[in-house]
Amino acid sequence: MSQGLSLIFGVIGIINFAHGEFLMLSMYLTFWLFQLWGIDPYISIVIVTPLFFLFGFATQKVVFQHLIKAPHLSQIFAAFGLVIVFQNIALFFWKADYRMVKTGYSAATVHIGALNLSFPRIIVFIMATAVTLVLYLFLKRTYLGKAIRATALDPDAAALMGINPMMIYCIAFGIGGALCGVAGTLLVPIYYVFPTIGAYFVLIAFVVVVLGGLGNVFGAFFGGLLIGITEVLSGYFFTSSFKEGIYFLIFILVLLIRPSGIFGLGKT
Amino acid sequence: MILTQLKSPTYYFPLALLALMGVFPLWIKDPFYLHIFIMVLFAAALSSAWNLIGGYGGQLSLGHTAFFGVGAYCSSLLFLNFSLSPWVGMLLGGLLASGLSIIVGYPCFRLKGAFFALATLAIAEVLRILSINFDDLTKGSMGIRIPFRPSFVNFIFYDKLSYAYIALCLLFLMLAISLAIGRSKMGYYLVALKEDEDASKVIGINTIKIKLLAIILSAFFTAICGTFYAQYILFIEPDAAFSSELSVHMALVAIIGGVGTAAGPLFGSLLMTPLGEFLRSALGGEYRGLHLIIYGIILIFVVMLIPKGIHDWVKIGFERFIQKFLPGKRETEERDILSNYPLWKEERNLQSESRRQTRIFWEAREVSKFFGGLAALSNVNLKVYEGEILGLIGPNGAGKTTFFNVISGLLKPDKGTIIFQGKEITELKPHSICLEGIGRTFQIVKPFPNISALGNVMTACFCREKNSGKAKSKSLEIINFVGLWNKRNFPAGSLTIAEKKFLELAKALATCPKLILLDEVMAGLNPTEVSEALQLIKKINQQGISLIIIEHVMSIIMTLCERIMVLNHGEKIAEGSPEEIAHNSAVIEAYLGQDYINA
Repeated sequence: MSQGLSLIFGVIGIINFAHGEFLMLSMYLTFWLFQLWGIDPYISIVIVTPLFFLFGFATQKVVFQHLIKAPHLSQIFAAFGLVIVFQNIALFFWKADYRMVKTGYSAATVHIGALNLSFPRIIVFIMATAVTLVLYLFLKRTYLGKAIRATALDPDAAALMGINPMMIYCIAFGIGGALCGVAGTLLVPIYYVFPTIGAYFVLIAFVVVVLGGLGNVFGAFFGGLLIGITEVLSGYFFTSSFKEGIYFLIFILVLLIRPSGIFGLGKT
Repeated sequence: MILTQLKSPTYYFPLALLALMGVFPLWIKDPFYLHIFIMVLFAAALSSAWNLIGGYGGQLSLGHTAFFGVGAYCSSLLFLNFSLSPWVGMLLGGLLASGLSIIVGYPCFRLKGAFFALATLAIAEVLRILSINFDDLTKGSMGIRIPFRPSFVNFIFYDKLSYAYIALCLLFLMLAISLAIGRSKMGYYLVALKEDEDASKVIGINTIKIKLLAIILSAFFTAICGTFYAQYILFIEPDAAFSSELSVHMALVAIIGGVGTAAGPLFGSLLMTPLGEFLRSALGGEYRGLHLIIYGIILIFVVMLIPKGIHDWVKIGFERFIQKFLPGKRETEERDILSNYPLWKEERNLQSESRRQTRIFWEAREVSKFFGGLAALSNVNLKVYEGEILGLIGPNGAGKTTFFNVISGLLKPDKGTIIFQGKEITELKPHSICLEGIGRTFQIVKPFPNISALGNVMTACFCREKNSGKAKSKSLEIINFVGLWNKRNFPAGSLTIAEKKFLELAKALATCPKLILLDEVMAGLNPTEVSEALQLIKKINQQGISLIIIEHVMSIIMTLCERIMVLNHGEKIAEGSPEEIAHNSAVIEAYLGQDYINA
């Protein structure tokens, strides 16, 4: 549960290595909004999310749009280029220091029966559930959502139906960016911010996506829950330095045993 | 052979350039520039090693630092703890990495594209974390410092020049290996499976074995580069030896240079390595991160602007340059090769004619295949006699192609047995079935699009023929036979649909089959092409090769086939001579509906 939010950005199926860096930047933005103007992280969701929608949109427009027809390799490496650029921008401007926002509720806990739950994590869980539902409804019910799904299945056929695939890619990327924005603001009260934090989270995000099955909204939600549980358990049994190794192991195992994900429908 | 090749400028000019590189370090006096020179060679060699599996084989590994680190740690630890010369440790490290590559490769090769990349990335990370945590052995994050005791045996030298020459040897070795592999059976197989895995299997390629071979070689040489690095820097730590950046850099250098080419990694390294080193030295100290920002931006631009890599540019420029300025013998004329070999011979058909219709040599017994609850095939029995042409017809969705997929091993039947020449082949993998002598074509053609038509056929030829020269002449013969002579040097992807179908046929023929499965070869052909195809099929049959043909055009089936089997909803509803089938009521019902019979 503690990690329930990692599913948020696991939802889009674009294999974008730079996703973690989006998250890192959104965390920095939230951090500075708090530091400079004292805006509470939960309020800054309203500011950060639209900004990151634009940011994601722009990234697709400027970089990936030109690589749609390029081989897989080029796309992956363009993403790596972005990773290097963003990470080092953060390093350049804000140094390698670990920073954290101290709010009144960072350490607050809520008692439900015998359980002690930390307040920010409950917020994360609620928001994660809400975002999952909204996203699901958006993809299933709205015209734009349907257009996104159609484009994902067959861009050429979608284009014949009057959908502009290029625009859809930009919007999908924008939504991915916006979700990173939400995740970033929610994470700031819990985690330290530093330039390479993205790498840590993007890994978890990939595990979640693979666990839940690519492009499966609810799959990603449950994948997130599973990783949350694993984190708690592995923290209990192993030293923390091994914890990261455990994620990788789970990741490899899942990829090998169920490449289509636990909730995937067995397609290859 | 080699001497005659040397007369051609395509060979002597690059060799002269390489020789120039050999004397180049003697001329560099500044240690910083010498360092950059060494790093260029080192990165090129490393990237060539990656290129063996990542480039030729198209398996995008982002975990090659696992092998690199294993090589570096293995030789260094053996040197420190047992005073074993790194020259020996290097080979042991290489073997260890090869062993590791089998463990990594075998399960991971089932994954496709980016997932393979992610899995290998994760494996390298696991090794990094392990090397930090097993600090008794590896000294953890502290790293290992190799004491400076210069001697040849210790692989430690005073001057950078020695390192430069070792790196040069390493690079030449990698270039030679890459070139040799690129021209060999293995090279053709790797490229083929990169382009289309199913199509590779049915022309007799054991895809798993070839990929494993490639990754074993690749891991071995990556580990050797690891040892070189450790001995050059004299210090290793987990974050450097197992860094994911290095994995990315290896792949990147090859991609920017040109994946799957021998010279690509060298070109990539010549561009990217000096760039990285200069940026680092110019901006690294004062503005931390700035040099990497610039490096990243340049990387994105390079990937966007030249997706095929520098090699492509260089090659075109080089060919023009040769034509204008350099004398020498041109490529040998392929017609000459062809004329040395007899055209497709007629000897075999006499003996087979006599055995015709007498011997059952392929048989399916009670074959069933289910997709979920749907029976795509249920209890299909079929016999094929040696030398006959059997037609397989049925409405769309009747299970015809599924039947072919089961026969050729791409799908495993859920029930039943398949027997070929007295041997049960039900459980065999597609490539073994091909080697047994069953070739096939695909309804939706599956050429290897970026390989020339001739290369496509050659790849198929390699299943019986190890020698490239012989494979080439035999392929030329086959390509001539199917009438694609003028298109032989065009990439298969650029052929018309009819030409692609003939190419499929040529590929199937090149595997020397005794039975060929033709899946709708005629669909999409115009009448002239259809009659050409008919002639070809008849000629093939005259060689004593049996055929099973799926076809919708009844007139073709009626003229070609001696017997016909009809499938509907996965069941055999009729079998017999063309006349019997034409009047069979079950067949008429399946095609035209109940009303038609009544009428």
